[in-house]
Amino acid sequence: MTVIPKETLIGRRIPKLDAPAKTTGETRYINDLALPGMLHGKILRTDRVHARIVRIDTSAARALPGVHAVITAADTPGVPLGHGRDNPPLKGDRVRTIRDEIAAVAADTEAIAAEALRLIRVEYEDLPAVFSVHEALRPGAPVLHDRHPDNIPFTFDYSHGDLAAGEQASDVVIEDTFKLHYVTHCCMGVSGVIATFDTTGQLTIYSQTQIPFLYKRDIAPVIGVPPDRIRVIQPPLGGGFGSKLDIYPFEPICVFLARVTQRPVRILFTREEEFIASPTRQPVEFTLRSGVKKDGTLMFRDARTLHDNGGYTSWGATTPFVMMQTISSLYRVPHCRYHTTVVYTNNPYAGSFRGYGNLQATFAVESHMDRLAEAVGMDPLALRLKNAQAPGETTPQGMHFITCGLRDCLQTAAERSDFVKKHATNRAGQTGPIRRGIGIASLVHVGGGANIYRTDGCGTILKLDDFAQATVLTGASEIGQGSETVIAQFVAEELGLPLTSIQVVNNDTEITPWDVGVHASRTTFIAGNSALRAARKARTKLLAAAGQQLGADPATLDLRGGHVVDATSGEARLEIGKLIRSLHFAGKHEVVMTTEYYEPPSVMQDREFKGNVSATYAFGTQAIELEVDTETGVVRIQKVTAAHDVGRVINRLGIEGQIEGGVVMGIGYATTEDLMVSEGRVLNPCFRDYKLVTAPEVPEIDTTFLETLDPHGPAGAKGVGEAPAIPTAVAIANALYNATGVRFRELPFTPEKVLRRLREAAEGKP
Amino acid sequence: MARVEHYAAPRGLKEAARRAAERPATVLAGGTDLMPQIRSGKRALAPSLVNLRRIAVLRGIRRDGDGVRLGALTTVTEILGHPLLRQRAAVLVEAADHFASVQLRNMATVGGNLCNASPAGDLIIPLLVLGARLELVSWTGTELATRELPLEDFFVGPGTTRLGPGEILAAIRFPLPPPDFVARFRKFGTRPALDISVVSVGIGGRRRNGTLEQVRVAFGAVAPVPLCGRRTAAAIDGHPLGPDTTAAAVSAAAAEIRPISDVRASAWYRTELIQILTARLLRDVHHEGH
Ligand SMILES: Cc1cc2nc3c(=O)[nH]c(=O)nc-3n(C[C@H](O)[C@H](O)[C@H](O)COP(=O)(O)OP(=O)(O)OC[C@H]3O[C@@H](n4cnc5c(N)ncnc54)[C@H](O)[C@@H]3O)c2cc1C
Repeated sequence: MTVIPKETLIGRRIPKLDAPAKTTGETRYINDLALPGMLHGKILRTDRVHARIVRIDTSAARALPGVHAVITAADTPGVPLGHGRDNPPLKGDRVRTIRDEIAAVAADTEAIAAEALRLIRVEYEDLPAVFSVHEALRPGAPVLHDRHPDNIPFTFDYSHGDLAAGEQASDVVIEDTFKLHYVTHCCMGVSGVIATFDTTGQLTIYSQTQIPFLYKRDIAPVIGVPPDRIRVIQPPLGGGFGSKLDIYPFEPICVFLARVTQRPVRILFTREEEFIASPTRQPVEFTLRSGVKKDGTLMFRDARTLHDNGGYTSWGATTPFVMMQTISSLYRVPHCRYHTTVVYTNNPYAGSFRGYGNLQATFAVESHMDRLAEAVGMDPLALRLKNAQAPGETTPQGMHFITCGLRDCLQTAAERSDFVKKHATNRAGQTGPIRRGIGIASLVHVGGGANIYRTDGCGTILKLDDFAQATVLTGASEIGQGSETVIAQFVAEELGLPLTSIQVVNNDTEITPWDVGVHASRTTFIAGNSALRAARKARTKLLAAAGQQLGADPATLDLRGGHVVDATSGEARLEIGKLIRSLHFAGKHEVVMTTEYYEPPSVMQDREFKGNVSATYAFGTQAIELEVDTETGVVRIQKVTAAHDVGRVINRLGIEGQIEGGVVMGIGYATTEDLMVSEGRVLNPCFRDYKLVTAPEVPEIDTTFLETLDPHGPAGAKGVGEAPAIPTAVAIANALYNATGVRFRELPFTPEKVLRRLREAAEGKP
Repeated sequence: MARVEHYAAPRGLKEAARRAAERPATVLAGGTDLMPQIRSGKRALAPSLVNLRRIAVLRGIRRDGDGVRLGALTTVTEILGHPLLRQRAAVLVEAADHFASVQLRNMATVGGNLCNASPAGDLIIPLLVLGARLELVSWTGTELATRELPLEDFFVGPGTTRLGPGEILAAIRFPLPPPDFVARFRKFGTRPALDISVVSVGIGGRRRNGTLEQVRVAFGAVAPVPLCGRRTAAAIDGHPLGPDTTAAAVSAAAAEIRPISDVRASAWYRTELIQILTARLLRDVHHEGH
């Protein structure tokens, strides 16, 4: 008798399924794909920040041997793309930012295409330009888009309570303006796309998109191909982090080139192009006014933010959706107002980026929590605990926290870092040029999707073949976050199969069922639930069939180690493969194939931005210790103590990587990364001068997972893809204050900027 | 990218010099400066490319009378591992230890670092402190001619040197410092590895009763060329090490540098850094004496 004990995969350390191929170089990225007859596309970008295009002469480029097509706006339908529908793929009459696309070439080689670009002559008439939101709002400022003569494409307003009453009831009121800078995703894989039409006019796009289904819908009108004639195939991504959530001009341009040449065309960015022409994080000027009572009770919060929208609208403009959640709901605040003005300028434009506005909002809120604590003579931890949300609460914005580990996160991070004592000791006064500081900050972020379309669902098709090989077709893309592995774990767990028996297929819209896309930290939660439920249906079917064959009650059976076993004794009764084969033969003629469309229990927000937009919420706290050299301005991060409410750990290795990666990204945002934009131009479009955090700078990271077992989460899990990057920068700002007594309100904390701020403060600027 | 019409990778120095003189030529050593410059379009290749890497006489670090001779092709890795340098010219090893990354160190040569003539070149600063001289060779049409030049006279501006057309740097020599010689190098980049110097400072001299004598000071990335800090050196030379001398040196340094503002730092910040690094180096040298 073979006994198979019950084992669980949940919470184990599982190497990502795609790791072996990625580490050995076997993975074929879009850079490695070449279709027969493929041409190479390149885009001519403008060198002006704001100008009228007088004439484009492409004759010399067309005449160059090896060039198959040169196109300009005149050769395209001119339908604009993006959230504001204000961005035509090729600009015909006017350019508004330094990245603007004005012509494109398809040629036999990249070198010929590059040579052809040099032969295109463009004549411009320069227009007056604006490079700051304040300039752009001034009466008489140059107008970027005629549809918006005030340069304001969007505003956002949210409020609850009675602000005046809140202010009246406050004993202390403070106000600050924070300035959050440009950074960019720096994916290891540069942007790229391949487009190819077959003889019937069916279009296949090899795309890096994170949203394959909405992609079809959104690109269709721009390229004039109906969505049902578009197939999207997603080769493995060299990094996403939100950058592939929108469609950018190079993608329709590639389709146009494929259409005119009737050949497959690939466009791949150079690294410099990636820095200049891919989206950034939303830069924000954030004015926050807050009030507390003497006992530390938060009374009101009034936020006014200005978003530099750049020349066109991508997802950056919509980050207020997320910002206002942190303003209204990270801590209990009875009176609250939030207002954003989004302003066109001739600067680069921002897209979606891990955290989606929350790094910026949390920076303001958590800077203020520290300032308020000091003003009423409380410890920063105590003030936060006093106002922290608790399980069961529904916030005035309508967010329902069924589970909420915020208090535990605060306490755990504080205890493990000895926060209270260190904070007090550091403040008591230090001498010498090197000062030590510790800072703390928390976060709330959606952890169960975000219901911003009419559905927040994900489809799964699961099939079991005759050797008990399970294929999971899921709409949810793998963008490096490890969702493939987690989905396989859920399915393996339900079906009692080894992980090697699970194949996840997630990269072809002709095969996989519908999904909203990878965003809002939703994939483990939504796609995980979907896969789990599909697997559960298959499990039920297998157990029923086994019960029949074995003459046993299905409730007494279990699936383990590829076998049907007796649930109590673990005795193996039947191989699952054999069971499936018997369903094919034995006169039953059945396949084991199930489907699921999982829709989370969340709602779309109403016009006032109220409603429970996510099925669950993730919380976390980070305590950061650092040293600052007050003579050179160098900040060295020494230790990060992170405590995150993750619902439940599914893949421990994966979630550790997720937290560490997020923390490092947050450290980069705070201390090294700076996309320098001056008069609309990017000054440092290369890794020599755009500084990512390198390995020797990564501090010790002590992570604790708080398992609150979310009732809606798959096996209790919440999504935490974005969470760990959110509080890091402001925890560093708070630690800098603890070290130096100087409040840092502007990112980044690069050495020169830190030294300047210290000098400024020494000269009396608060 | 211009096409290379002639390529040579000779084994002999004479042949290389002849090739470099025949027609406009680009000389290739490790290629770690040259290739990125070509690829980014900052610089064009000449019709002839002369690869020096097979020339054995350009390699090696050896004792040469009372001095040391570094072949121009000596790599940063070779400098790092060399016992004589570690013992007697530690300041050069210190600079090598802050140079790029392991991969780069295996390719990058000392000759390339000097001939590239970046004001931020990291090996230049310690070699100025060590009083290095250069051995330059060229083809006269019939034979190989050699001339010598002090390193401090070599630089003309960013990326330009006194190398004549077709001239090749063969070796770098410096006198072996006496046992009482101390020197320090400090590079400021915004991160611990793989960074171009925002500024750098080298200070060296002979320690005599609480003073430094025969002092040499060099500054990187604060002028169009790597700068010899003569006034700073004079402020230190023969004066008792301590706060007063440090203050004098720091203000001399601030007065003689000519920094610019660029994406890496503003002139203000470079001036701040030079002062603080100079003070810290002097403090280190001072405390080491006790
Ligand atoms: C990622 C990266 C990091 C770097 N980090 C640093 C750093 O930390 N510190 C630093 O100082 N530099 C750094 N550099 C720059 C570069 O590596 C060094 O300057 C290196 O020493 C150049 O040597 P090479 O042999 O590669 O020179 P090459 O690129 O081969 O040549 C450089 C120039 O010198 C000329 N040349 C070379 N040898 C001779 C010769 N014998 N005679 C005449 N002309 C010659 C060439 O024609 C060319 O103009 C870095 C470069 C990169 C790409």
